[in-house]
Amino acid sequence: MSTLALAAGASGTGSVTIQAPATNNTDVINLPDTNGGTIMVSSAMPAFSAWQSSSQSITAGTFTKVQFQTKLFDTNNNFDSTTNYRFTPTVAGYYQLNASLYVSTAIVMQPAIYKNGTAAAYGAYVTQTNGVGALMYFNGSTDYVEVYVYLASNGALQNASSAYNYFNGSLVRAA
Amino acid sequence: MSLYEKIIAIYPQLVEADFRPTGAILLQNDSDGKGDYIAKWEHPTLAKPTQEQLDGVK
Repeated sequence: MSTLALAAGASGTGSVTIQAPATNNTDVINLPDTNGGTIMVSSAMPAFSAWQSSSQSITAGTFTKVQFQTKLFDTNNNFDSTTNYRFTPTVAGYYQLNASLYVSTAIVMQPAIYKNGTAAAYGAYVTQTNGVGALMYFNGSTDYVEVYVYLASNGALQNASSAYNYFNGSLVRAA
Repeated sequence: MSLYEKIIAIYPQLVEADFRPTGAILLQNDSDGKGDYIAKWEHPTLAKPTQEQLDGVK
């Protein structure tokens, strides 16, 4: 049976406190060892996945915000699927974001990830379907991210299922 | 008629590539019910069309 030892530093007066949560939950933290592993703390680690469940027309030559109206999950309730269609994480840190878009007809298109209203990452300019990803820092309060798309001709996004037009992301490292 | 189509009607010399990220013009729609708008106009020779010009295109 393995044991858990607590060792004080050889010098200095600093301290480490392991504090129980202020709830009635019983929590277990599995520590990593030399064979690998990682500490995963699930509470308040935002992760979301949303998709477009209602068709959206896109005007040619215009970067248009994509409406993702349905959430598959949203662990910290940080994705707005009704008004602004944006992710505003309330935990500061680095987030991996991914989006994939599919146009219902063979139109040249280009997706983009916008941070705080400005383009931060473009996908390629290709026909009908493409994705875009980015690793971004968010301050945990005012920073937000959205997905836009550009079509070379008038068209619409395909919304047959959650596999076509989706936007997802997760915290990968705290600030 | 969309804003893009109106601008093309005013300036027929513009091409679709002028509206891509590498182009001089950025049209945007924030899906907030306010419609398309000119977010950036940095064309070296063509002036940004006025609202009067845009309204005059039918």
